Amino acid sequence: MAAQETQNPTSGDKSDDDQTARAVSLARLLHQESSLLLKLFKEKESFFEDYTPDGGRIVSLSAASEEPSTEEQVLLLHSGLRQCLGLIHCVILKEEEEWGDLEGDYESMRKNVHQRLGYLLHTTKALMENEETILEATPDHQCTEEVDGSAGVFALKMWTYRVLLELVHWADHAANTLYKLHSEREGKLLN
Amino acid sequence: MQLLKSALLLVLMGLSCWAKDVIPIPQEVSLLGNLRTQQVLISWSGGEVTSFDLLILRTELNDTVFYETVTTTPDKASGRHDFKWTSVEPLECTSLSVKVRSRIGQLTSDWSSMQIHQGNDSPTNELMQVYPQDKIVLPGTNTTFCCIIAEGKSFGSFHFVSETLNVTRLSRRAYAATVYSPKPSPSFGFNAFCKGTTQAEITGAVLFVGYPPLMTNFVCETHDVISAVCHWTEARDSHLLGKRQTRYSINGRNCSVVCLEQNQRQCSVPVWEDKWKLLGRNSLGEYSLTDTAGVRTRVVPLPPEEVSTGATARKANVTWGWKHNHYSSLALVCQVELTSSDDKTKRTFSGVGLRSAVLLDLYPYEEYSVKVRCGAQQNFWRWGNWSKTISFQTECDVPSTPDVWISMANDTTGQIIWKPYKQRQSHGPIVGYEVTLWSPDNGTRRIHNVSPEMFTLPLSLSSIIVSNNSRLIASVVAKNPAGLSPPATIELPLHFTSLDSEKVDFQEGAFPLSWQSDANTSCGFVVEWNEALCVLDCAVEWIKVEDDIRNVSIKSDAFEPGVKYSFSLYHCPSEAPELLKQWQGYMRELTPSSSVLLSTKQQDLDVVITWSDIPASHKRGFLRGYNVYLNNGSQLTPLASLSHNENSYTVKGLPLGSYKFTVKAFTSAGEDSGGTASITVEPYGDWLILEILATLGVTALVLFFVALICYKKRKWVKSAFYPDIPEPKLPNHWSTPQGTLDVKPSPHSMVHIVEKPEWDSGKEALVVIPEEDEDDEGIRDEPVDTDEPTSLRYYNQVVDERPIRPRYPDSSASSASSLDSGRTDVTYTGIQTSGSSLVFQPDPQSFSDQPHVALSSPESQVCSSSGYRPQNNWHLDSPEEADERRSLAPSLGSPTSIASTQFLLPDGSTEESAQEKHQSTAATWLTSLLSSTKP
Repeated sequence: MAAQETQNPTSGDKSDDDQTARAVSLARLLHQESSLLLKLFKEKESFFEDYTPDGGRIVSLSAASEEPSTEEQVLLLHSGLRQCLGLIHCVILKEEEEWGDLEGDYESMRKNVHQRLGYLLHTTKALMENEETILEATPDHQCTEEVDGSAGVFALKMWTYRVLLELVHWADHAANTLYKLHSEREGKLLN
Repeated sequence: MQLLKSALLLVLMGLSCWAKDVIPIPQEVSLLGNLRTQQVLISWSGGEVTSFDLLILRTELNDTVFYETVTTTPDKASGRHDFKWTSVEPLECTSLSVKVRSRIGQLTSDWSSMQIHQGNDSPTNELMQVYPQDKIVLPGTNTTFCCIIAEGKSFGSFHFVSETLNVTRLSRRAYAATVYSPKPSPSFGFNAFCKGTTQAEITGAVLFVGYPPLMTNFVCETHDVISAVCHWTEARDSHLLGKRQTRYSINGRNCSVVCLEQNQRQCSVPVWEDKWKLLGRNSLGEYSLTDTAGVRTRVVPLPPEEVSTGATARKANVTWGWKHNHYSSLALVCQVELTSSDDKTKRTFSGVGLRSAVLLDLYPYEEYSVKVRCGAQQNFWRWGNWSKTISFQTECDVPSTPDVWISMANDTTGQIIWKPYKQRQSHGPIVGYEVTLWSPDNGTRRIHNVSPEMFTLPLSLSSIIVSNNSRLIASVVAKNPAGLSPPATIELPLHFTSLDSEKVDFQEGAFPLSWQSDANTSCGFVVEWNEALCVLDCAVEWIKVEDDIRNVSIKSDAFEPGVKYSFSLYHCPSEAPELLKQWQGYMRELTPSSSVLLSTKQQDLDVVITWSDIPASHKRGFLRGYNVYLNNGSQLTPLASLSHNENSYTVKGLPLGSYKFTVKAFTSAGEDSGGTASITVEPYGDWLILEILATLGVTALVLFFVALICYKKRKWVKSAFYPDIPEPKLPNHWSTPQGTLDVKPSPHSMVHIVEKPEWDSGKEALVVIPEEDEDDEGIRDEPVDTDEPTSLRYYNQVVDERPIRPRYPDSSASSASSLDSGRTDVTYTGIQTSGSSLVFQPDPQSFSDQPHVALSSPESQVCSSSGYRPQNNWHLDSPEEADERRSLAPSLGSPTSIASTQFLLPDGSTEESAQEKHQSTAATWLTSLLSSTKP
């Protein structure tokens, strides 16, 4: 598990710099794994090869200010990742309910992504949490509503596909945002 | 006619009106659709009529889907008629309109009011949809899907997995497509999906294709005589998982199924029942199995727990415990599986509430492992599972008696040898050996302690034995932590003996040895073997043979091809062993590894080949003989095949010359590479001398007879070879000519000077030869020589073999030189001719300008006249005469030849004008020369 100790995000010490670097690596790894998970899903369900869903993002957040600082962006990212964790958790539950507990490549990678996203959440929580900011690293999704408002296994597959696209998107966003934070903190450390 | 038709029409109309009034129209038509089964239950009130026409249309396009006459009976309670119609397409696909009319024979009532079964393609439902959703079918079941495109959108395509399907339009928005004979689906099903005209317009359904449950081997057992554990095998994969997987129940109670290996399933039931029913059910069907048994007949004890052992050297006590106390009163039978390094055995024990077993006949100092399983002794059903395996080691015991032998090299030296212990003979780690030598005659005793790695003890009896006939006994004991082994004793033989060996062949992987011996013996035999060529510290092996056995096959992994082994049979091994018989043999003979050393010598005109023996270690087989070959380098010509005890061979009557001989020794495996020696056969010395003497004698004898004949015929010889020559008569001094001599020379004495550029080299001619360079090969190669080979040889027979060689390679230079200096390199003095002419004929090309010189013997003049005349002014009358002269060559060698210093000069008048000057100049020069040289 990633370190969970609380630190001042603006302290700018060396260990904090290492932690942001580790968070960047984790986010990049998550992006790779979620992309691979999406690829495995497409191979399994051939009909998604040329499918581009519309309807916008499942996870969408709005910043408090029009030009949020990097720290605010990371906080926003943390919130988005929590929802993503809830979504992938829900995907796992629904798929296991539908197909049973399988042990294929897709299921293995799905488990990896779930765990990796949990590590990343803990890492960002450790990065940003201070006395004034309390963050959660638990899934922010109840997994109770119908998937995309309709029943049926095909709808579940469509929804799973959208969740996986969302994961790839947020993992990429996490890698970029955390790298930005890392660069800023590294700059402060050098100054 | 027209009137008739009108009348008939009126009748029919009347009947129709009557029928409509009489046959009731179906009332209260209602529709009830079952979306899962795709069936519509049509219900109506129709009175007593039993036959009805049903018409089903797709509402939007008014397509007839079903139009048939059906026969129904009214329900006794409600009095309503029912008909269940199954749609090919899902009922959600489009709205259906249904109406019914009664029929009596050909007469029908009016149609009932139209009833509509509402589909999902109505404008109020704008979404894009595919039906049926999540349908589960058997493999091979044709399934029709329909796609309802979104309101205001266009249909794109319909797909099943990766296949595009043909569609049928059902309504404005609904399209149907059929999937034929699908195979069993993967766990996540087959996707059937519909696309619109944009990439975002896609929706679909999943089709699951699988089988109903099928189980076998359903059995219920009990471990504790109270509860039951039932298990079965899934005989077929249903291809349905998760929500759709097969659910099981036993005796109506749902099972929490545990999946075991190889499709084994297990379910526990808390209380035993004598009758069991397993029911498997999924969306495609159900299957059930039953089992009936009393609880005492299905007891399978749980694996024993807490297994432990206590072992001595040859015995172990295994104990275990039970999870359930119920077993203490249960008659059990248990198996203990005992595994050692090379063996596995099962030993069975029984008893009420059995908790231990004693394992006997174990090997000392041996690693074992044990595990236990049990079953009910009464009404045995099957063994329970094995307990965990535990290991133990037995304790040490004293070693077994060592196997001892003695091998004597001679009367006083040898070695006591004993075999290393095999597995399970040492009964513990050997820490050493103790060898005792003692003489019962004088009580001498010597003890030697030998390390555990040594298995021999060298013997030197000279220091132990007091007298030649003293007995000496060797005793060997082995030591391990448990103590000493029983001693192995052997009495040393008094004298070393050796016998002639028999040859023994290796057959079927062994050396078969057999012998005859006194049948009354009771002390047994020992067969000992070792490498026959071994001299010191030989590795000796032996086996002991019972006294009633007279043959044995000796096998050993140590036997190697090409090695000679010696086998010795001894009698009474524990007493002083007596050698009875010896054999020698090879496991497999090889060709000799080295060749003979060959030497040759000439004996008169014969060649004697001798060779040495091959060293015994190189023979590698029983030597059968030698093959002698004449070796010409590339081929061996066999000369003889000799037995192995011959070491020489004589090759007789060889012509003089060089020879090579090869001798190859051979065994049953073949020849070796062979030894080769060369010799040059030279003439025999004595014969050479005799030949020389004989030749000399014959020569002397011939000369003697020749001399004798010459002597006897000396007058004839003289007249024939040396006739008297008359003295020349000179009236005055003749050196100066006093006038012209008009003597026509004889044609036989004319010398023609031929000086034609077109001189024919093919014609014979005599040439003048200078005195120098007689044997110069280079000169002989000059053109002038090769042009006249016959002339040269001819001349050589007469005078000399020296060829003529032009002095000057440049003819003009030569000519100039001759003219200017008035001399020539050719010396003409001392030339002897006899009855022939010598003609100097230079190369007409090279020497065209040279003076022509002709020599002519005066003999012709002598024969044709009474005196001699100077020859300085001869004339040839005609060319024919010159030709005639050439034909007189046979007169050469006549004893009438004389020596002359006169040059014979040709007459310049016959030559070309250009040459006359040269000739005259040469004549002048010659005349002066002659004048100066004449005495």
